[in-house]
Amino acid sequence: MDSALIPEGAKRCPFPVFAAGIAIVGVVVLWGVYAMGLCWLKGLNQTNMNDYYGFALWIWADLAVIAIGGGAFFTGLLRYVFGIDELKNIINLTVVIGFICYSSALLILAIDIGQPLRGWFIFWHANVHSMLTEVAFCLSLYFSVLTIEFIPLILENRQVDKVPFFHNLGHNMHGVMAIFAATGAFLSCFHQGSLGGVAGVMYARPFAYREGLLVWPWTFFLFTWSAAAYGPCFTLTVLKMFEGITKKKLVKDNVVHLLAKISGWMIFTYIIAKIIDTIYWATVTAPSQGFKLMDFYSDNAFYGIWILILEIVICGIVPAIILTKKSFRENSRLLLIAVVLGTLGVCLNRWVMVLQIMAVPVMSFDTWALYFPSWQEIATTVLPVAYGIILIALAYRYLPVFPQEKELNAD
Amino acid sequence: MKVDRRSFLGLGLGAAAGVAVTPATWKLMDDSSIWTQNWPWTPVPPAGEATYDNTVCSLCPGNCGIMVRKIDGRPVKIEGRSDYPVNAGGVCLHGISAIQYLYDPSRIKAPLKRENDTFVEITWDEALDMVAERLTEIRASGSADKIACVTDQTKGTIPGLFARFLKATGSNNVYAMDTMEKTWEITLEKIHGGRSSAGFDLENSDFVLSFGAGLIEGWGSPVKNFKINSSRKERGSTLVQVEPRLSNTAANADVWIAAKPGTEADLALGIAGVIIKESLFNSAFVTASGKGFQELAAVLGKNYSPEAVAQTTGVKAAKIIEIARDFARSSAPIAIAGRGRGMSAGSVREFSAVHLLNCIVGNINTKGGVWTLAAQDYEKWPAVEMDDLATAAFEQAPLDSAGSMAGLFTNAGKEKNIEALLIHQANPCFALGDAGSVTEAVKKIPFVVSFSSVMDETTQEADVILPGHMLLERLEDRPSGAGVAQRVTGLSRPVIEPLFNTKNPGDTLLELARKMEGTIGASFPWESYEECLEAVTGDLWAELSDQGYAAETATPPGGGVKVDFSFIVKSQAPVEMEGEAKDFPLVLVPVDNVRISAGSLISSPFAIKTVSDNVLKGKDLLVEINPETARANKLSHGDLAVIETPKGKATVRVNLFEGIMPGVVAMAKGLGHVLDNNKYVGGKGVNINELMGPIVDPVSGLDAAWGIRARLSRA
Amino acid sequence: MKQDNHGKNHKYGMVIDLDKCTGCGSCMVACMSENNVPFKEDETRKKDSITWMRVYKLTNGKPFPETEICYMPRPCMHCGGKGDHGHSPCVSVCPAVATDYDHSTGIVSQIYTRCFGCRYCMGACPYHVRYFNWWDPKWPEGMENYLSPDVSPRMRGVVEKCSFCFHRYQQAKDRAYVEEREEIEEQEYQTACTQACPAGAITFGDLNNPDHAVHQMVKPDPHACGKPRNPKAFRLLERLETNPKVYYISERDWVRKAGDNYLEGEWEKVKNNHDKGHE
Repeated sequence: MDSALIPEGAKRCPFPVFAAGIAIVGVVVLWGVYAMGLCWLKGLNQTNMNDYYGFALWIWADLAVIAIGGGAFFTGLLRYVFGIDELKNIINLTVVIGFICYSSALLILAIDIGQPLRGWFIFWHANVHSMLTEVAFCLSLYFSVLTIEFIPLILENRQVDKVPFFHNLGHNMHGVMAIFAATGAFLSCFHQGSLGGVAGVMYARPFAYREGLLVWPWTFFLFTWSAAAYGPCFTLTVLKMFEGITKKKLVKDNVVHLLAKISGWMIFTYIIAKIIDTIYWATVTAPSQGFKLMDFYSDNAFYGIWILILEIVICGIVPAIILTKKSFRENSRLLLIAVVLGTLGVCLNRWVMVLQIMAVPVMSFDTWALYFPSWQEIATTVLPVAYGIILIALAYRYLPVFPQEKELNAD
Repeated sequence: MKVDRRSFLGLGLGAAAGVAVTPATWKLMDDSSIWTQNWPWTPVPPAGEATYDNTVCSLCPGNCGIMVRKIDGRPVKIEGRSDYPVNAGGVCLHGISAIQYLYDPSRIKAPLKRENDTFVEITWDEALDMVAERLTEIRASGSADKIACVTDQTKGTIPGLFARFLKATGSNNVYAMDTMEKTWEITLEKIHGGRSSAGFDLENSDFVLSFGAGLIEGWGSPVKNFKINSSRKERGSTLVQVEPRLSNTAANADVWIAAKPGTEADLALGIAGVIIKESLFNSAFVTASGKGFQELAAVLGKNYSPEAVAQTTGVKAAKIIEIARDFARSSAPIAIAGRGRGMSAGSVREFSAVHLLNCIVGNINTKGGVWTLAAQDYEKWPAVEMDDLATAAFEQAPLDSAGSMAGLFTNAGKEKNIEALLIHQANPCFALGDAGSVTEAVKKIPFVVSFSSVMDETTQEADVILPGHMLLERLEDRPSGAGVAQRVTGLSRPVIEPLFNTKNPGDTLLELARKMEGTIGASFPWESYEECLEAVTGDLWAELSDQGYAAETATPPGGGVKVDFSFIVKSQAPVEMEGEAKDFPLVLVPVDNVRISAGSLISSPFAIKTVSDNVLKGKDLLVEINPETARANKLSHGDLAVIETPKGKATVRVNLFEGIMPGVVAMAKGLGHVLDNNKYVGGKGVNINELMGPIVDPVSGLDAAWGIRARLSRA
Repeated sequence: MKQDNHGKNHKYGMVIDLDKCTGCGSCMVACMSENNVPFKEDETRKKDSITWMRVYKLTNGKPFPETEICYMPRPCMHCGGKGDHGHSPCVSVCPAVATDYDHSTGIVSQIYTRCFGCRYCMGACPYHVRYFNWWDPKWPEGMENYLSPDVSPRMRGVVEKCSFCFHRYQQAKDRAYVEEREEIEEQEYQTACTQACPAGAITFGDLNNPDHAVHQMVKPDPHACGKPRNPKAFRLLERLETNPKVYYISERDWVRKAGDNYLEGEWEKVKNNHDKGHE
């Protein structure tokens, strides 16, 4: 039915099956869109956020998708700037994931603000001292870069490519992609960092506050580093999911192992930095403000020290060991465990830096604030996931996302 | 034109580029943000010239001077009047909220009559005719003495007009809420002889021993007492608070003595015993003025030794002795009674035991002591004209011999029937103990007329409503009371034209009297309430109308006082709580929360907003218990629980507070209103008066209930 | 001018005597009434109840009958931020300059029409003085007539907070200008809560002006960002270097201790230091 659009030589499931799948996910999208509409029309009272929880579930989702979308900029950097050529076989996937993640992030921000129609004030009346201003500028610029990176892939669609203009355009864009990749990497470094800075600069919130270098708190660097380190984990997780669902091998092992190895060493170095940061914070920064480490992890029903251990040990040290050791990462089951743990780890880090910050009491007579999101929040948080699934499914079906697919599946 | 894919895409791109370049996009973006800044549903208060009007707050007996800030004649804010002798600039949250009372959603906008279960709007003429005809009928049937009237207080010309109206019709059934003021009057009469009301010169006292009086919970004249309390440190004055729970007053006091609830009289007698035993009393005063002192000393020595009292009250004997010595050795000690706000009567035994302390240190009618104030006499009323009907009926015994409002409705529910009830600024169906039975009693009254401005629980039972002006719309004199030593009469003045079709109750009564003709009409010769006020206040009017108040200098009444100590010996039976300890192991006590108004005044949305979530959460009221009590009853903080008393039961939540005596359950007064139109205040919490009943004091006949036995279990 | 500060900058601040505060709530209602603060049906969810001035109830945590309580009114602290340069936690993070530090008064402003509701400032503020308008403000029919034109009602979706009744400052300045005066008197500019407090627990004035009561009460140390030199005075969370302009006074040790967070043993040292004073 839609075979004319499907990349040459690729095998795809029958259209009705595909359409049914899309329809099911589409229902979730509609649910999310309905909730989004409620938030826009009736206001943020549709959420369970409150004056203690000004940032809540979807801001965590926002930071998390940006972190796991970090695979795009980092792989782009490796491929185009450092010239690691093998990665061209997975770069398309990272770009699609990045595009999905960043468009989702922007959508979430548009729902999150109390006055969406004034959202552009962040550019017009920008306060250059605010980390959020930096986030907004870099995020939107980087999204433009991602769009530009995504266009050549779209142009490679069998039918589009037939138009000479688009063919040439695509070709030429490929030629200059290195510049965009470099720009993207630069922008991305900054806004990943500034997202970390959002929490780190809150010097009156001892749980979040970090000292740092010049105007940048340590979380600035940790966020960039962790996005670069864990982003590829998510890329590989998605790849493994694809391969599982399609029951096909899509990227050669050497490429996967290379990316896994790089990710492993990144996580390894990151987690050392994170441990040093945590120790310094727990023994110097927080005590100087009158807090001991366990103040942040006790006297409440949810946040125990387990969350720190889970983040650093289980989702940090463990994937780092698996991915850095050749025999481990080449074991496909261990590899899968590592990339999933890594993805969880970075999401958990963002959770802590968004939600736990709000929960920890600062005034001695204040109490822990715990919060549970409303269905509207959950729906709008699930929305990007569903949207992502649809977009990535469309991309896979109609675009040559995996250059090695044909070769690997030639029968 | 054929649109192929290429030109289609071209057009698309072109359009996108066009949209980006055209100023329309940017203009629309800007416009939409401007729209969000001027949403038509967000009010924009009109600007205008700012002016201030002075008036006097009449929401409680405190009578503070207030200033109303107006913009183009529209009241926008209430502030304290800084040159006013009572409050000197301060103002309580309820006073500030008068601005909300003005526009209260439950205000009555026009005269109403009951038709089956609903109210129907009628004209003033119709309404007044209905009332006049009905009252005339009742009079004609020889039941003039079965007409009753309840008002918020007895002083001032509006309550005066009500009393006059009743007298002219032939009824001596005028009642006001049973308050500590009444009990103090009876106590002073029993001990000193003669009628006088109590004034407490707290600002000149250097040692205040308060038996549960919530000096900063709104006792007496709230703002005045806030100020007095606040200057305590500078004045070197000590406050000792006796109370089973750490109230705000207890927390602010220098010493908090947690005596078992209901044992205040015993503690006072124990302290007196120590003072007498150690000869710390004012023997010159006692010898010169006292009668029966020796007998008293003997009784106290025998029955009220510190050890015995320690047993009863739970206060250590050493503490009792220490307080006694500190009290007696102060230069101007004063002991005060009247629980919480003092809006409940309390037992005469307790008041006289407390007042005994003032008597033995001789601090009566002295600086910093208790003053026996003669009745205020600025009101000069012409004699009431009474026809034979009225004269005969007026001779009949009142429906409650003690003049107790609680007694009135207890009786009304029994044998003596009230034929008609006039209600002015009182809400007995909410504010009296055993409110459920009171409501039943009111329902049985054939004809109920309310003069209320808002639809409260009692007004909902009315047959005719003659709605009154609200505070800011209304003229009224406000004589001082509430235990204030310095007398200040204030003038409440309208600062705005009435918002609705309401009348000053004074005017309503004048018109009603005229409609009833004869001697009744003749007893009300004034054209309007304003004219009446001017005539009745006489010499005071010039000062009142000129500066808004008339203040007397604060000097203790001259002339000696006699003290009859034998009365104290006689009145020894304590007022017991209802219920058996074996069924109801806990003690429920009502608590006045300064941010919640109890009595006839319903809290404002502002006030309710300030109430802690440990008192009110959602629609649930939280009762306060000690963690120990909670453990014993297997409850934890926030749990839903059922509180049960011999009078009724209610579902509440539990608030754990270390500062309350184990075994005691405290519950805020003033919640649990049923107000159909006011969702900000109505339907929240439980009315404690549904759980507590009145207990008639054997001496005064007033309601002396201070608590009730209760049990608490998980819901 | 005999002021020892540089230039003519004011630094408006508040001193609250916690031993006088009775928890009566007048300040809260005076503030709501002055500043058109809306109310809704259920205000018992205190985490979304807009109270520019909020009175906290603190307890010493001891069992009956050793229990003590203290009421602590908490307006916006109008933090000077680290080094007292105006980088208050909230101002420094606002992406759209919707909240700003006025160096001539020390007041942290909030422009409702500029705010687009990102709530970053709320996260940054440890005192919870910032409130978001989760709902459209609505008054029962007719009640919008009592709204004051001095302070505009806020639309849904923006953050609001205590302004130290800045409109009153402007009105006082206007009056002074008309009367051709340079400066306004201490009594000419007072916040609504200060004025209403029946216990006289709140004092307001210019911390830079040695003639003003607030200055005399706390004796702010100009070399330590205004840290109080009165040993009984303290600021909330002093250790975070937010440099609030709201000071509290209490004779009670446990109350002063509750003003900040201390590790084991630290309070004893601080307390002793305080008692020595450092004039």
